[in-house]
Amino acid sequence: MITVQDQEELFELISNYLEEDVECFALGGTAMMFYGYKITTKDIDLVFLTEKERIIFINAIEQLGYKQISAKGIYSEKTLLNQQRPLMFSRGDERFDLFLKNIFGFQIDENIIFDFFARHDFITKKELIVKVLNKEYIVLLKSVTNREKDFEDIQTIVKKDKHLDWDKIIDEAIRQKENNQWILLDLEEKMNELKKSIFLPSKLFKKLYEEQD
Amino acid sequence: MEFTEGTFTIETLANALNLTRGSTINYISKLKKANLVMVSGGGRQKKIYKIRSLPFIKTNGFYDLVNKYSKIKLVPKFNHIVHGSYSIEKAIIDGLFIGDARTLEATSYLFKQVKNWPRLMNLAKKFHKSDEVRKLYEKARANFKCRKMPKRYLNKN
Repeated sequence: MITVQDQEELFELISNYLEEDVECFALGGTAMMFYGYKITTKDIDLVFLTEKERIIFINAIEQLGYKQISAKGIYSEKTLLNQQRPLMFSRGDERFDLFLKNIFGFQIDENIIFDFFARHDFITKKELIVKVLNKEYIVLLKSVTNREKDFEDIQTIVKKDKHLDWDKIIDEAIRQKENNQWILLDLEEKMNELKKSIFLPSKLFKKLYEEQD
Repeated sequence: MEFTEGTFTIETLANALNLTRGSTINYISKLKKANLVMVSGGGRQKKIYKIRSLPFIKTNGFYDLVNKYSKIKLVPKFNHIVHGSYSIEKAIIDGLFIGDARTLEATSYLFKQVKNWPRLMNLAKKFHKSDEVRKLYEKARANFKCRKMPKRYLNKN
């Protein structure tokens, strides 16, 4: 397990081994820790906008002893059918899931790039800039990735944050449906599960069903 | 006892939680450790406690620097946290990247604090912002008194 402090120290360490400045976006558990939703995570999920930056980052973590592993057994079969799989690296308990511009069909485009929650600059010899995606995108991505504990994470966010903008989540899912045909179904499934414990207005479901038809 | 978000004094929080004053102080102390409470006042003023369910994030980046030195204050668009050293020169470049009119106006005040011109111009060159840095500098010079940019960096095409 990686704690908030471990995560920050690890990023600082990695920035020492970078050959050039790198910018990436944090999602999943990593982003949740930056928000303060949780205090530990199993893996560090990052998405890069260019292959060059991902390669520079991989070179740095390989110098630190991380080895590439397979995504099988971690992501579901259905999720892995998608072309946009992450490259995964691990060392002991710690694991990096490194995506390129796209998370199982969810495109990181201009709308998302300029709408982030926080920016962490790790400045040593080179600069590692980690931008934290907005909570709405984190929830939506957690619905798409379908890993063990992803639903628990969504529940944690919903429980801790009363100001989640569900309209924004649904609008983004609709916008992304061309890239990922399952996104609306996955989101609906998670929302139906959530409905058992929290109140979600029926107009949200109506909006989803209209788009599915 | 249920977790309560909001703004309180000791007395109102004790009432809301149905606790004694002493227990409320202990409760606040626990929240402080988890960074879930922000305290203002003290001394002659009554202390006011802002309690949130998510930790308060301490920022030390662009917006803190600009709001420290600029007459025009900005509402942060994002939380900027720097692990390492963040310079005035880098803040000017970041301001240019954010790019809206108010941010640029506020960023121009940072020219009053620039000491390392080579660093600024190297960063500007690296991020392809040299012309914009010069433009902003000229605007700053026209609007208020600020440090002079060395001639070798001016009017370069």
